[in-house]
Amino acid sequence: MVSAGTLHVVSTELAVGAFAMAGVAFLLAGLASHGWLNMGRHLSLADHVAHFALAFGLVAMPFAIITGIQSSPGTGVDHPILINKMFLSSSAFGLAFGVLLTRRQYGQEIWARSWGRRWQAIGGMAAVGMVLVTASMGGTFSRGESLLDVFSLPYEQVPLMPMWLSGLVMAVAVANMVIMRQRTT
Amino acid sequence: MRRIIALFVVAMLLLVPTIGSANPNGVGDGTFDAQCGGACHGDADMNRSSASTVVVSGPSTAYEGLPTSVDVTISNIETTVSGLLGIFLLSDLSGAGDTPADDGWAIVSNSEGGTQNYVEVLVAPGQSEHTVSWTLRAPSTGNYELHAAIHHGTQDGSEAPFFGSSLQPIQVNVVPVPEDLPRLSSAFEPPVVRTVGETTSVQLSTQAVDVVLVEWRVSGGPVQTASVVQVDQETWTFEIPASLQPVTVEWRAHLQGEGPEQSTPWFALQSENPSWTVDETAAYVQSLAMLLLFMVAFMSLQRRDEDPIETTKEDAFDQEVQF
Repeated sequence: MVSAGTLHVVSTELAVGAFAMAGVAFLLAGLASHGWLNMGRHLSLADHVAHFALAFGLVAMPFAIITGIQSSPGTGVDHPILINKMFLSSSAFGLAFGVLLTRRQYGQEIWARSWGRRWQAIGGMAAVGMVLVTASMGGTFSRGESLLDVFSLPYEQVPLMPMWLSGLVMAVAVANMVIMRQRTT
Repeated sequence: MRRIIALFVVAMLLLVPTIGSANPNGVGDGTFDAQCGGACHGDADMNRSSASTVVVSGPSTAYEGLPTSVDVTISNIETTVSGLLGIFLLSDLSGAGDTPADDGWAIVSNSEGGTQNYVEVLVAPGQSEHTVSWTLRAPSTGNYELHAAIHHGTQDGSEAPFFGSSLQPIQVNVVPVPEDLPRLSSAFEPPVVRTVGETTSVQLSTQAVDVVLVEWRVSGGPVQTASVVQVDQETWTFEIPASLQPVTVEWRAHLQGEGPEQSTPWFALQSENPSWTVDETAAYVQSLAMLLLFMVAFMSLQRRDEDPIETTKEDAFDQEVQF
């Protein structure tokens, strides 16, 4: 039977590959939406590739997380890098989901708005960047090194909030969502 | 809706076999009976016989209440790609109530740094032999048997689990302690775990002892001598230097007195990195909070900037290449 470790490698490659493609496509879409580098005619193509690859990466991500937990040694989340991976991947997931929902809400019109196209491109690339840093942390955890070690990122520092503050943040976020929903309808 | 159901079914089909597998990453050290110990593969009849050879060795005589050492050597090792091998020390092979403790033995330490009868070791690729040592405090007088067993998977993980046991148990005759035998006090509990970077001070409680010599070694390394200080007639202290990384240090004492000189078994002292713990519930809640925060913050940002669509610029989509 295929072990969790092997499945983790497969699902991680799927997720990271899709996110990497999405990152490049968001960059191209950002350039195209501004008409820079004579890219304007490729906007629709870059837009579709960016959002489809981002959505595919989001689908692959839970598989990578579950198989990663199953293949990790020991029980529970007992290392600062694992906690930071969890925080960063969930943040990336939320940001990417927000980018996709925005695209669904506004359609291709988002690229015609002066600030909308900037935030969309920056948001997409930021989500991709966060996923790539998450993958880099996985390399640091399992092999002791990764490509991003040159930046000396503080993987060992855990910015853990008290439970009440996390609850407050969630409540504010949910309230914000409800208000946005009401305004839309 | 059908597509969502199909996606859900495929996802479950992919995930369930992994979740339902029989602990392919092991379950860690513990106190377990034979067969099902630690990694239940269902009915024991499903097991196949391991081709590995299991040999248990130790003294034929032990003193009641005093520590003695037993080695279990596995040769011709076969295991999974990860090299995980489970090793048991048992009082019989019945599969129920067969831990050494069931016969009155008390495990003081094992060479993997624990105090359990079941240990999981990682066998390096190409390694064909591995030995695990247990130090046990002998039960009341009588004749006892000690067995050893192993279980493991296969390289490709596709076949049944494998189980093997020692062909011959060792017979240990536990005898009363002579009055003048130099020995450790029955109340003495050696330390088994320490933190990396910390010196360990050990206080020995003895009986009928005039002189104590202590030797220590990093597992498999040269033997060194520790200086021993006598606190009172039955108490001695010595220090084991700090280790710079997680290793197993072994030590033993030579006890001299009016009776015949005695040497204790090698006691294992495992050094570990400082443990790191976190409130997992708070971490999971914070993850969910950050997910929602980033999603809502981005959508709010886009909504705030609902500026009018630029009509002065040329419409980019009109320039699109038509395929």
